[in-house]
Amino acid sequence: MEIEFQRVGKKYDSGQEALSQVSFHLQQGEMAFLTGHSGAGKSTLLKLMMMIERQSSGNILVDGTDLRTLPKKAVPEHRRRVGVVFQNHQLLFDRSVFHNVALPLQVSGADHAQIGKRVRAALDKVGLLGKEKYNPMALSGGEQQRIGIARAVVNKPQLLLADEPTGNLDPKLSAEIMNLFQEFNHVGVTVLVASHDLALVARMRHRVLTLNQGRMVNDGGFS
Amino acid sequence: MSARPNANRQPQRGATRQSNQPIKTQKVKRQPFDLAKYLRQHQAVLTESFVRLLNYPMASFMTLMVIAIALSLPGGLYVMLKNVQSVTDQWEQQSVISLYLFSELEDTQALSLSHQISARDDVRSVSYVSKEEGLRYFEQVSGYEQILSSLPENPLPIVLQVIPMEAVQLDTLDILESLRLELEEQEQVEYAELDAQWLQRLASFLSFGERFVYALSSLLVIAVLLIVGNTIRMAVESRRDEVLVMKLVGATDAYIRRPFLYMGFWFGVLGGLCACICIVIVSLWVSGPAMQLIELYHSDFQLSSFSAGEVVICLTISAIIGTLGAWIAVNKHITDIELQ
Repeated sequence: MEIEFQRVGKKYDSGQEALSQVSFHLQQGEMAFLTGHSGAGKSTLLKLMMMIERQSSGNILVDGTDLRTLPKKAVPEHRRRVGVVFQNHQLLFDRSVFHNVALPLQVSGADHAQIGKRVRAALDKVGLLGKEKYNPMALSGGEQQRIGIARAVVNKPQLLLADEPTGNLDPKLSAEIMNLFQEFNHVGVTVLVASHDLALVARMRHRVLTLNQGRMVNDGGFS
Repeated sequence: MSARPNANRQPQRGATRQSNQPIKTQKVKRQPFDLAKYLRQHQAVLTESFVRLLNYPMASFMTLMVIAIALSLPGGLYVMLKNVQSVTDQWEQQSVISLYLFSELEDTQALSLSHQISARDDVRSVSYVSKEEGLRYFEQVSGYEQILSSLPENPLPIVLQVIPMEAVQLDTLDILESLRLELEEQEQVEYAELDAQWLQRLASFLSFGERFVYALSSLLVIAVLLIVGNTIRMAVESRRDEVLVMKLVGATDAYIRRPFLYMGFWFGVLGGLCACICIVIVSLWVSGPAMQLIELYHSDFQLSSFSAGEVVICLTISAIIGTLGAWIAVNKHITDIELQ
């Protein structure tokens, strides 16, 4: 999936300006990091891509389609093409690992056999194949994050977004998670990871977008 | 700029077979409507929402009982009304206009009047009750045989029992009343009696009862809507996280709404079923005394409860009420839950 931001601004109803004049172009199959202090607008940028929020100005083009032209009805369809991973996992603890990962497939109406196959494939990819029957609560933080990633990729999205996916993890686990993202990128998924772990980001050697107080201050260099 | 498109890179070690397949990046095409898939999804949600009710047995049971009681009140009144109505129907067919002729009238004159009346278009038949027959019948039913036999002469008049074409119903009462007046105007007739006046009273009482049941039903239907609505609102609230995650992974509002609608459906159907059971039990319970009462009136009337058809109607109505209540609540609350 190809993403293009053209002078995008986002002003919340409270008057707070989260983003202003943000422009960048993410190629199909590219991997990039999004860094900046907390409050710099990283989450807002990801929310705009997920259509959780709508921009106040500028254009966001996804594969050439202006998100602004998509009606509210088309939002679910858009979200199915985007996998997203959060720092706080957003897992459901009333069901097993398997059913957490299966959710995006159930939502898009996949049939039973297909769900089983693809959930196991996704769990295999993140190294949790043996734990599908567990409750996520019983797993460690790193494992929970992996469930989140499995859920994000189970639908074979064309864009993978992650918001501080390593926020709560120790350096070794963080590196593992980042390597996972890289693997998905290697098979053609466009990946954008928001993180303030600059050391880790630098080690990954990918394009880095840096936000400061809602403005894009750096695009390209490793910080 | 160091944009590094790397879609064509070779997969690295560690990537599984599944991930070797290039991920298609073309736009998702709108899939043609798949009825089997649609039904399969609905069937799954139907089962799932039922299981969810069973997961909270106490809360579900109490909600169901409130719905059942609210529904069994109008249902019970309906059964009562139905029984009274069918008692009325039995009497309707027996209704006649009795013409009491002047006692000085000769048999031949009475017979010719009888023929004359039975020739009318609006009269089905006329039966002739002579003075003697009248006396014999009166002896039988009254038991005053000795007193009657001590009378110097038969005091009873000749009676013509006219059975009109029109059956006695509320809307034919006016026609029958005018027929009665017309017959009473015959010079041979002293007095004509339409055996339907009490029925008229009962009919207006019934139409009052009917209105009463409708009004009460409407109120209780609203009550059930509110009960289901409130229960569903709480269910939505308790599954807030799930709703958020589903929105995040691309669930449509219809998809999110569905389990709650089915929950309302189940509350409706099961509440209706409990109401039917209540009504049947209560009608069995009152049937003993009711039958005794009916026997006192020498009637072969059979007390009826809910028929299979009425059970189906009751369940359908309650299912609709339940689903509607859920729909109102869900529409309001699902849109309130938005991703932040």
